[in-house]
Amino acid sequence: MRKKNLYVTLSFMLMLSIVGCKKDTVDPNESELITTVKVVLTEKVSGTQSIFEFKDLDGVGGAAPSKFDEIILARGKVYDCKLQLLNESKTPVDDITLEVTAEGVDHQIYLSASNALAAVSNLNNDAKGLPLGITSTWTAAAVAGTGTMNVTLKHKPGVKAAGDLVSKGDTDLAIDFKLSVK
Amino acid sequence: MRLLAAISIFLFSALHLNAQCILRISGTVKDADTRSSLVGATVSIIELKKTILTDIEGKYVLSGICPGDYTLRITHADCQALDFHFHLKEDLIKTFQLSHAENLLKEVVVVGAATVRPEGMTGELKGKELAATRGLSLGESLQRITGVTVLQTGNNIYKPVIQGLHSSRILILNNGIRQEGQQWGSEHAPEIDPYVANRLTVIKGAASVRYGGDAIGGVVLVEPRLLQYKKEMQGEINLAAFSNNRQGVISAMVESGFDKNETTAWRVQGTLKRGGNARTPEYWLKNSGVQEMNMSAAAGWRKNNKGAEIFYSIFNTNIGIFSGAHIGNLTDLENAIRAQTPPAYIRDEGFSYAIDRPYQDVQHHLFKFKAFSEMVGHSRINLTLSSQLNIRKEFDLTRSASDLPQLQLNLQTHMADLVWEHFAEKKIKGSVGVNAMYQDNYINYRYFVPNYQSVDLGFWAAERYQHEKWQVELGLRYDHRNRFNIKDNDPKPFDLLMGNALVSGDPYGQRIFSGLSGTGVVAYKFSDHLRTSFTASTAWRSPQVNELFSNGLHHGAARIERGSPNLNPERAFSVLGTVVYNNEKWEAELGIYQKGINGFIYLKPAYPALLTIRGAFPAFDYAQTDASLTGMDMRLAYRLTNHLQAHVKGSVLRAYNATEKTWLIQMPSDRFEADLEYSFIDGKKWKQSSIKFGMQHVTEQTHVPPTGNIKVTDATGITKMQSDYMVPPPAYTLFNAEATTAIDVRKRRIELVLSATNLFNMSYRDYMNAFRYFALDRGRNISLKIKLPI
Repeated sequence: MRKKNLYVTLSFMLMLSIVGCKKDTVDPNESELITTVKVVLTEKVSGTQSIFEFKDLDGVGGAAPSKFDEIILARGKVYDCKLQLLNESKTPVDDITLEVTAEGVDHQIYLSASNALAAVSNLNNDAKGLPLGITSTWTAAAVAGTGTMNVTLKHKPGVKAAGDLVSKGDTDLAIDFKLSVK
Repeated sequence: MRLLAAISIFLFSALHLNAQCILRISGTVKDADTRSSLVGATVSIIELKKTILTDIEGKYVLSGICPGDYTLRITHADCQALDFHFHLKEDLIKTFQLSHAENLLKEVVVVGAATVRPEGMTGELKGKELAATRGLSLGESLQRITGVTVLQTGNNIYKPVIQGLHSSRILILNNGIRQEGQQWGSEHAPEIDPYVANRLTVIKGAASVRYGGDAIGGVVLVEPRLLQYKKEMQGEINLAAFSNNRQGVISAMVESGFDKNETTAWRVQGTLKRGGNARTPEYWLKNSGVQEMNMSAAAGWRKNNKGAEIFYSIFNTNIGIFSGAHIGNLTDLENAIRAQTPPAYIRDEGFSYAIDRPYQDVQHHLFKFKAFSEMVGHSRINLTLSSQLNIRKEFDLTRSASDLPQLQLNLQTHMADLVWEHFAEKKIKGSVGVNAMYQDNYINYRYFVPNYQSVDLGFWAAERYQHEKWQVELGLRYDHRNRFNIKDNDPKPFDLLMGNALVSGDPYGQRIFSGLSGTGVVAYKFSDHLRTSFTASTAWRSPQVNELFSNGLHHGAARIERGSPNLNPERAFSVLGTVVYNNEKWEAELGIYQKGINGFIYLKPAYPALLTIRGAFPAFDYAQTDASLTGMDMRLAYRLTNHLQAHVKGSVLRAYNATEKTWLIQMPSDRFEADLEYSFIDGKKWKQSSIKFGMQHVTEQTHVPPTGNIKVTDATGITKMQSDYMVPPPAYTLFNAEATTAIDVRKRRIELVLSATNLFNMSYRDYMNAFRYFALDRGRNISLKIKLPI
């Protein structure tokens, strides 16, 4: 009886220590990283397309961004804007835009130009009719100038509401592209 | 009405008291382990300066004593002294058991040679004091000790700070084993269940020759009760309930032996804890719940002069991180500080037990085997083997639903420890030992520190010399530390690990550190009332792997931390003086210290902020400087009457960056505490009852660098360069109350503690709380703790 008791205790402890050593299995498709933001602008009249890009393959910290374009607009022109969010650290490349669109009710993109260089309107809506901003219309200023175009993606699960300020929610993206109107 | 009754009883007993000084205290003093009578043990009533030695049968008698409250101190060579507080109103017969301090499984700790823990630089929580902290985390409990503060991240993560130093600068010994958790950040709390311990001790400032010379700040001992080699089963159930976050805790322990011959013992213990959102005086803190599930088991065997013990414990916790503190980038941080309160959609959230992202999930296993063998000539060999596994997962807010963490670190530690203790000589006692430690760190998901392996070797010796009123201790230790195989990660699955440059191969090389540390203590006893000690020590700490190689985003701190691969070890030179005085009315302790730390490693704010896809992040680089920490801890107790005692505590610290000629950031400000305690006379049923009212005053930390490289724009639009994003919060004063009692039900004593902290629900922020930027600290918290023997 005595020996049995000891044996039970020991095996119980052994069992517990094995539980702790289990390694987690990993789903390699799961990743939250956004490495690349592409601003695809199509001029309404001519249909000319230009792409401006920010790229930082190793995410926050580490090496500096490998690509950080200046956005160039022509005076008084109107553009259709489409944003592309990618994770290029993986093969094949992960298109985060699809995910953001699918979960549109939890996300919102804010676009704002400094020095009144461009007016942003016509942001597309999410399933609940609130602005999402994957696509938009940009109207360049009538006079030349330089400044920045801020692109911010906010994540606000369950709390997105009409008239939200850019300060609300968790920041997934915040990039100040250099902007010049020529 | 009850107070009136208490006062009248008190007055009556006071009158009664003068009349009859004819009471006697008698009994026997025994060895707790062998149950044999102890001859020549000293039994003294401290208040009356009456002392007597036990006779050949271990008996003592003290007579002609007036009724009143007294402290009986029982000491015996090689045994641990025992203090017994009691109220005398009739003759008392009492048997005391002293545990052998050196001759059994008791560890030899710290300064080295013996269990001597120099007074004035040591703080202890046990018995009633410990009972009042039940249900709190380790760090929070230790705050009761003078000179100990906490580095806080919200309301669940508390890291102990000893005289301004924390993390890898202090050593936590969990049941005699060096706790090897993940000390990479300020939001990594010690992974220990305080219910395991029946005594928590803090040794301030001394380098531990025994367990590694890197404890520049001090040592925390988490000590369980010795195993009870008895067949009869005993145990206890502890319950605790807290009002603030509606937290409930249950902890139970059962122990017994396998046989009647008292050669075996076992113990099983477990704790469950669950708390929800905490409440500040103005709003709830969304997602600040906590869950804990802990268990430990121990078994021992001993025969004649040999013995062995195994111990296993598992610690599991889930800690919610307050939603309002999760920020995306520098702009978010500035917005949060400017708003001074969490945004409405977080603030208006009510109470909940749910823990959502962001949260931490931490698991810690400890396995220990220990054996000893006594040899001829009163010496002993101890062998200790231990393994620890720490699994830490951090779950951030994610865009899509996921079960995976964003950061995972697995730290494995194996240690072997061989000690030869000799105490044959009356005057010289000591021990000599060798330790070896192997560590392996594995990381996945977001990069923060590299994978690495390490091997540490240490050799040490510590001796104590005692002669009449003098006592001298000397300890010396040599350490060799090797960090190798420092790699980013296995190349596959490559894409799971991100951040850093993901350099393949062996880009970081190997770092080897070695050095000597030593401690010397001289203690002199002027009389039974006045004792003094002086300690000088030098210790060194090798840079930790995060200080060398971290490169990445530290969530919860919203900053990028960058290691410096060329850091050198830091070396500390400390001197510490203590004076202890006590008589019938007074108890006083004063400790003064000065630590010079060459090459003190700290996070230095870098400028400009780092540009990332998520906006700007403040960047911090690990840098070295020469630091100087000077301070004082003091404690005073005054007995106003036999029932009423007043306590005053204070600690003061000045931490100076000697290289840059400015103050060091993130150091605790001065704090003072005072309380008044009334102890009731034991009734027929109610025993050891007391009530206490106290206050705590924490000053504003004004000793911060006046300027820095962080650009801060205040509400009026004025831009200033500061050393922190927010100026330190103002001073605050909190009030608290505590009532304790015990009730005997069928020969079993049930102990109760009712306490209230932040009694008046004051709004405040503390400089040492990382979440001071985002929210107020906790409001009133009323708790009830019950201890039931089974």
